[in-house]
Amino acid sequence: MLLIAGIVPAPDLPLIKGEVKADNSSLIIDGKSIAYAQGTSAMLSSALAVTKHLNIAPPQALLVGDIGSGTGSHFLYRHLIDNIKKISPDVLALHYWMPHLELMKELCSVIKQLDKKPIMIADAASMYTAKAVGLASMFDIFTPDSSEIAFLADADAIHPAYINQHLFSCDISKAPELIQKAYELKGAAKLLLVKGAIDYIATDGKIVATVEEPNVPVLECIGGTGDTITGMVAAFVHAELEPEHAAIISAKANRAAGKMMGVTPKTQVKEIINYYPQVFQENLCSWSGVCIREEIIND
Amino acid sequence: MFWDKVKSRLVGSTDKSKVPTRTAAGSGLILFHVVEDAIKAEKVIKEAGYTCKLVAPPPSLRKGCDLALSINLVEQAIMERLLASSEVPYVGISPLEGTTELLQIVKITSFDNYTMVKAGNMKITFENDTGLIVNTSGGGCPDIPYLNIQLVGKKLSEAVRPKELGFTLCSLMLDRAFEKALSIWEGEK
Repeated sequence: MLLIAGIVPAPDLPLIKGEVKADNSSLIIDGKSIAYAQGTSAMLSSALAVTKHLNIAPPQALLVGDIGSGTGSHFLYRHLIDNIKKISPDVLALHYWMPHLELMKELCSVIKQLDKKPIMIADAASMYTAKAVGLASMFDIFTPDSSEIAFLADADAIHPAYINQHLFSCDISKAPELIQKAYELKGAAKLLLVKGAIDYIATDGKIVATVEEPNVPVLECIGGTGDTITGMVAAFVHAELEPEHAAIISAKANRAAGKMMGVTPKTQVKEIINYYPQVFQENLCSWSGVCIREEIIND
Repeated sequence: MFWDKVKSRLVGSTDKSKVPTRTAAGSGLILFHVVEDAIKAEKVIKEAGYTCKLVAPPPSLRKGCDLALSINLVEQAIMERLLASSEVPYVGISPLEGTTELLQIVKITSFDNYTMVKAGNMKITFENDTGLIVNTSGGGCPDIPYLNIQLVGKKLSEAVRPKELGFTLCSLMLDRAFEKALSIWEGEK
């Protein structure tokens, strides 16, 4: 089971859990409509696009409303801490929530005691929290952007807004040295997918792949395009691809969808996600060896 | 007598040579000129439903009195709003470790009829002709999806500032980008 946990900007939404479904206007989880938007719903939407294409079990979602005050986030941590053993996901992807250091430590402690540790993925504030409590290396995949890799490489920083100025660069070309430093300081997960003008995939301190084409600079403007990459990575790992391959394919797919659509700075992330099925149909077989064959059987 | 009362409420050791450990609240300090303000601030923040603890600030961060509030640094924006609205004076807010200044780097990128302004890891993109905010991106704080919904589709000149809407450091960074975007837009008009 792939479980994606995070908050959505719906202040009155209680904690909900269940299989992710979708219609034209929203995601449907536990009977509730969740608007397509930047954040965890974008992550869920992209993961669902992958599972639909591969015809495997859809992601399970654990969501709560929180507009940033942290109120809902506490329910999310607590539910995971109390129930992760029973849920027993194969892949656990943590996304937006209010960073809470003690609750993150408690959650990781519970997960360490499980008979079978899930493949653990973190992005956004979950990644910040894992690094801040010194438990980054317990995670299998982080998906930082070019600013967040500077944060992971800064021994003292507890938030990307407070990293040392000399580490920060809008230029993704600094990523290789920051990746190496993040691993040295134990601020990295086993695999890093650094999202930027060049996407870097690194394991154990070494860059194992880069993705540069197609180059679609406008994607940087569009809120949620990092969330979609992480959602795809989670779903491909759920489909038992090796994390490295999952990361490479996801980086390629996002770029290909952006190019196929002809994105502009005013494109919204859902419009890009709509192009994933076509991108997968045209490329996934050659990129990954995962080929969907349709057979017509005549009686 | 008053100081004894205060000391009894400090977290952990009152040995001021020791740096306070990270608390559940976590990793940021509000610094004050006088002890009374620290006490008032604690009350205001707790009444608003947020976590904070009175601590002794480490020597490197001591700017005023010997009492500070430990907060979750990510919640800096809402803490600033609470203290401003209740008129509790404070010296500043600092991370417990690392650098003490928010990133100041702002970068501007042009795309045909659009401009993207990036402050730290936060980006805001507007349409040059209309000043319409067409996208926000970057950042992993929990108010980022909410800010995106609140800002996209509004004009820079009419939108509520991110620092007024948000709760976190990301909202402060996005506000810097917003402020720059607004000044560019007003300059172009």
